[in-house]
Amino acid sequence: MASRRRMLLKVIILGDSGVGKTSLMNQYVNKKFSNQYKATIGADFLTKEVQIDDRLFTLQIWDTAGQERFQSLGVAFYRGADCCVLVYDVNVTKSFERLNSWREEFLLQASPSDPENFPFVVLGNKIDVDGGNSRTVSEKKAKAWCASKGNIPYFETSAKEGFNVEAAFECIARNAIKNEPEEEIYLPDTIDVGGAGRQQRSSGCEC
Amino acid sequence: MRGEEAAAAEARCPRSPELHDLSDDSDYAAAAAASSNHTVMRSDLADKGSVETARADVVYEKEGVTIHPMQYGSGRISGILRLYLQQGSLFLSWDPNEEVDSFSTSSATMEIEKYRNLYTVKALPLNDVRFIRKHSPAFNIGAEYIIIVLSSGLAYPPFYFYNSGLRELFASLKKHVFIIRSDDDPNVFLVNDFQDPLQKSLSSLELPGVASVANAMSRQNSFSFTGSVDEARHVTPSSMTEYVSKQKHKSNDPGRDLSIQVLEKFSLVTKFARDTTSSLFRENHNSGARTYGRQQQKHVLDNRANDKYTDHPITPDKGSLPSDSIESDNLPLVWGKQRDNPLSVEEWSNFLDPEGRVMDSKALRKKVFYGGVDHVLRKEVWKFLLGYHEYDSTYAEREYLAVMKRTEYEAIKSQWKSISPTQAKRFTKFRERKGLIDKDVVRTDRSVPYYEGDDNQNVVVLRDILLTYSFYNFDLGYCQGMSDFLAPILYVMEDESESFWCFAILMERLGANFNRDQSGMHAQLLALSKLVELLDPPLHNYFRQNDCLNYFFCFRWVLIQFKREFSFDQIMLLWEVLWTHYLSEHFHLYLCIAILKRYRSRIIGEQMDFDTLLKFINELSGQINLDRALQDAEALCSVAGDNGAACIPPGTPPSMPIETDGGLYVQQDEVL
Repeated sequence: MASRRRMLLKVIILGDSGVGKTSLMNQYVNKKFSNQYKATIGADFLTKEVQIDDRLFTLQIWDTAGQERFQSLGVAFYRGADCCVLVYDVNVTKSFERLNSWREEFLLQASPSDPENFPFVVLGNKIDVDGGNSRTVSEKKAKAWCASKGNIPYFETSAKEGFNVEAAFECIARNAIKNEPEEEIYLPDTIDVGGAGRQQRSSGCEC
Repeated sequence: MRGEEAAAAEARCPRSPELHDLSDDSDYAAAAAASSNHTVMRSDLADKGSVETARADVVYEKEGVTIHPMQYGSGRISGILRLYLQQGSLFLSWDPNEEVDSFSTSSATMEIEKYRNLYTVKALPLNDVRFIRKHSPAFNIGAEYIIIVLSSGLAYPPFYFYNSGLRELFASLKKHVFIIRSDDDPNVFLVNDFQDPLQKSLSSLELPGVASVANAMSRQNSFSFTGSVDEARHVTPSSMTEYVSKQKHKSNDPGRDLSIQVLEKFSLVTKFARDTTSSLFRENHNSGARTYGRQQQKHVLDNRANDKYTDHPITPDKGSLPSDSIESDNLPLVWGKQRDNPLSVEEWSNFLDPEGRVMDSKALRKKVFYGGVDHVLRKEVWKFLLGYHEYDSTYAEREYLAVMKRTEYEAIKSQWKSISPTQAKRFTKFRERKGLIDKDVVRTDRSVPYYEGDDNQNVVVLRDILLTYSFYNFDLGYCQGMSDFLAPILYVMEDESESFWCFAILMERLGANFNRDQSGMHAQLLALSKLVELLDPPLHNYFRQNDCLNYFFCFRWVLIQFKREFSFDQIMLLWEVLWTHYLSEHFHLYLCIAILKRYRSRIIGEQMDFDTLLKFINELSGQINLDRALQDAEALCSVAGDNGAACIPPGTPPSMPIETDGGLYVQQDEVL
């Protein structure tokens, strides 16, 4: 136990161009929103120290280019991911419809050891736009899709107003931790992982 | 090409069964006999003030071996050429005499003094030598000379033997290293040409005669321009910490980045050698000789490429390398050429004839390459650099072109302008393309006053041009990054049609950056990797060991040609420099290396992994000194020369794409 190191949790944010991936990351890490973000070219990441149940973690959040054309770069950036965040814009139906292909592309390129149980979290962003009047994807529809994919936790967020962003990322962190036990080499005396934790995950976050 | 292969094959399988045999060569048989008398065995050279030759066995020594720094007229520097054995390996050194020869004019003397140290060869391991070219003057008038060419392709300036001694040199070489006369060119002597399997197996048996050569081969892979001279020994794991701490002390003084300094020292040597040899070859009407050298270098490079899958980590091998410290090596600082002033209005008018033709396009490109363009001239000059205007077009022809192209632009634009909302509903591809462009133009250079603020008309023009382009080049369509390229062009041109055509012609070269299969990007990143391998093997090895060879951390640099790394003003300067294609079409790749080399000691010293490196590179945005990076890149590009060009596959952007039957942008059918 003495040699416990702060664990790195790697999180990848995916979704169509312009759904707010960079904004969500910046809102969570820097508590800032800007209308002047540029389209992400390649990939970048931010890190944030988080405390979950008295344990400290470093959350490494990867922001990637949203255009489909750049997906082939994923191989380099997705490897070693602990959780994948799928983002869509509640005002753009197409961005919701593309969630499935983002999910499949991720599983293909990251090739996690246990794809069936790899943790995803879905965020429906930009709920602030036009007071919700321009919304084209309902919460019900989104939740139904999440349920059909093994109860993926779902959050509605506004990166601009900071709404629900903290809660979403706490859930993301918790799910990432649950993905970690297989590599829990830092806790040689207290391996207590079993399948229990992972089975619970599918019921979503109670946070 | 066939001849080259044959030569290489011959070189690999020398006809003679005996490894060191040159007995078919009567010159050398005689010289060998003579050389035993000339061979000097000394164990005390302290009086020569040469620390690294202490406790070395000198096997050859010749005074009056001279080089001619020809750019300073009749100037010549005489010195002592030595071969010596140290710990089983053979080294070559050349120490200039203290006084400049009286042949020199007094004005040249100062310059030569300045470069005395530059030409000094301290301890060149023969293992690093690829071949030695011997040149004998016609009718025995004048002195014989040799040019030593390293495995890296670097060449030393010619050494002239005014007092004979060349035979003895070869005889000594023959005794201690594996050297054969090339079948292709009797004046070329291949050193350490160990391609033959039989020889390899012999070397693995460590027979006394070949042992040193075998050692040589294992070390050859850690050789580099910088490495062989000063740096490789500092980048060995055992002395890494020391090296890093030294570098850290200097980090506040960027002028002292040693890798660049040493590199540039060699840049000058190489340029010098190239100039000298080409001039000499011209003098002797011997055009074939130079071609051979180039082919040979290519051959060397091919061998290196073939070796890439064999792992040769840098091994600490202090014993074989002399151990003077960086500090004691008081090299003169030689930099890439100083940046020039931007092309001025007056200079520009001097480039034009009365009808408006550019009279000397090469001189113009050179001027822009070294200094950029005054902003007021960009609107005019960029059209030439981009290739939209022909250099030999007249004012009248250009005016006519502008009118014609405007009409053509409007016609293409009307293709999407005429799509009604009802038609758009049934045209998913159009809607999505337009949506993507709409999203990107509002986040492109909005902090630049020209694109600032709500309802900015210039942003609308950006959108219109990009959408029109996606119809003009429907196969390629729109891709993120294109708006980054267009924004400065529109800012400069201030005209929709002219901007469109300039952008379109730029995309002829850079469109492949946006290919769906990323082939254009992969080609450039691969070329980048090859160039780093050539120009900085220790850094290449570091990237390989840390799983960074995909160079994805340079993806943004390459995709949009450093657009996100520099200010708007700087990017206009950088792009016009790149567009000249003056030293290389792929100058941007040398710029990548120049920047990486600037930070190499941090990258290696802090043991950055892929993630950290990517983050580090991304955060360099806004931190890079452009002028210095351009200067460094110029030096690197000159050093690399033909070997650098050979690292870059044909058709690599921004070279013009190789056309295929199916059109320029053969794409799988995808949504966008």
